[in-house]
Amino acid sequence: MSEWSREALVERVHAILRDEILTASGGFSPRSNLVESGLDSLAVTQLLLSIEESTGVWVDESLLTPENLRTSETLAELVFEQLKSG
Amino acid sequence: MAAPAPADRIPLTGADCFLRAFDAEVARWNGASHLSQLVLRLGPGFDPRRLRELVRDAAAAQPILRAPVRRRFGVGAPGYELAAAARRPAPPVEVHEAAGEPGAWPELFARRMNERRSLRRGELLRFDAVRYAGGAAGTDLALTWQHLLLDGSGSERFVRWLDACARGDARLETLPDPGELGPGPAPTRPLGERGAAARRWQAWLEGFAANAPRSFAGPRRRTRQDLAWDLLTLGEEASARVVAEAGRRAGFLTPMLYYLALAIRAHHAVARARGLDPGSYLVPLPVNVRARGGEGAIFRTHVSLIWFQALPGEVEDLDALVASLKAQRLAAIKSGQIENGGDAMDFARFAPARLYAHLARRAFAGELCSFFFAFTGEFLGGLERFLGAEIRNGFHVAPAPPSPGSCLALSLRGGRLNATHLWQRGVFSDAERARLREQLVADLGGGA
Repeated sequence: MSEWSREALVERVHAILRDEILTASGGFSPRSNLVESGLDSLAVTQLLLSIEESTGVWVDESLLTPENLRTSETLAELVFEQLKSG
Repeated sequence: MAAPAPADRIPLTGADCFLRAFDAEVARWNGASHLSQLVLRLGPGFDPRRLRELVRDAAAAQPILRAPVRRRFGVGAPGYELAAAARRPAPPVEVHEAAGEPGAWPELFARRMNERRSLRRGELLRFDAVRYAGGAAGTDLALTWQHLLLDGSGSERFVRWLDACARGDARLETLPDPGELGPGPAPTRPLGERGAAARRWQAWLEGFAANAPRSFAGPRRRTRQDLAWDLLTLGEEASARVVAEAGRRAGFLTPMLYYLALAIRAHHAVARARGLDPGSYLVPLPVNVRARGGEGAIFRTHVSLIWFQALPGEVEDLDALVASLKAQRLAAIKSGQIENGGDAMDFARFAPARLYAHLARRAFAGELCSFFFAFTGEFLGGLERFLGAEIRNGFHVAPAPPSPGSCLALSLRGGRLNATHLWQRGVFSDAERARLREQLVADLGGGA
């Protein structure tokens, strides 16, 4: 079982986006809309690579949908499910 | 830390210099320039005098629009000489009258792509408006520019910004990204690391030479640039099907890989008909590297390149081809080639333009690539009118030198897919262009 909790994943995904990918302003929260914050295809791939580095899990891009890419929270939920399924 | 840019000079970015090298090459070998075009089909109500005034005022407020591009004393990185811009005329806005209704696209627009425009004299962009029935039946408008003052995304931002200024929602003196004309962010890696990254990028490119590509035009040759272009526009229903298919096959974030696969297959159809062994299909894909989350820069080029290669045997199975392109994209990003490309282009700012173009061609026996390709997504999304006139359609005509002599650019406007094929006359016969189009239409579900 992974050591990652849902909450820790949300925080990690949010931190990667805020500090490394989007270099977002103070108003950027785990519930901010990612596309409106500037997320594009290149940023998503860079994000997935950072998540893999942190968690060891590669989230296949084909699993991404507009719904699970809406916010840091929804994306972290997808990663959490991937971690659970091993 | 990088020194602040002198107020009278704006340095070219690495990507700018990459493109300046191609402009120099096209000037030397083909008597033309490396130009791009943005084309709008407008409804009635367009006032070209208003555009002329707006462009004149914009050039006064933003001298980069007419600044000579030079390398001072022949050394160092080239830049826009703002102090000299005041002596240059404002970019031209020419009006041409036509009878009847808009139909085929004006031949004039293709001719503009073949003119020699001097960077050293600050001849950086122009507008041409073709008015039908004095404008009552609509206007076709072309913005033609040196493909370094703006990149494709920048050209849309420029049009959007002009319109916002005309409506009073923005000011000509203030760019959406206030820092965009500065020196840019300081490098995040030490010089030695950047040098190593640039060499990795070069080695990556040279690795493609094992299956060296062969364009339809063949290696560079001394020939007059004589480009022309065709437009294919799908209806809304057909476009919706294609967009869904692109998302299903390539992922909703990377539909460009589906369109790239179709572009490769369209060119492959011509190669087969000609009995040509292309070696491989090698195609660069521009990647927007603007900082995310802000308004984004209008001027200068903010791109890196990912190169894709497909062997002829991989082209028949569309799903396998898309899967290969997806894997190549991921590998390129994972190995840092986008950043490496940025470093390589940054280093080349200090190299003579000719040397730069030579390096780019050296690995492939005089070829640059198989053809050029771009997918730019939604074209001017959300902008329904330009200077008061309805935008009925709009698209990009991306540049290509006479070698490789072919460029396919796709985008969406108002729910319709546009595919612009630019080619050098003589590179394709009429039957071959028809074959290319036929394959593209078939792969797009026959919806043209």
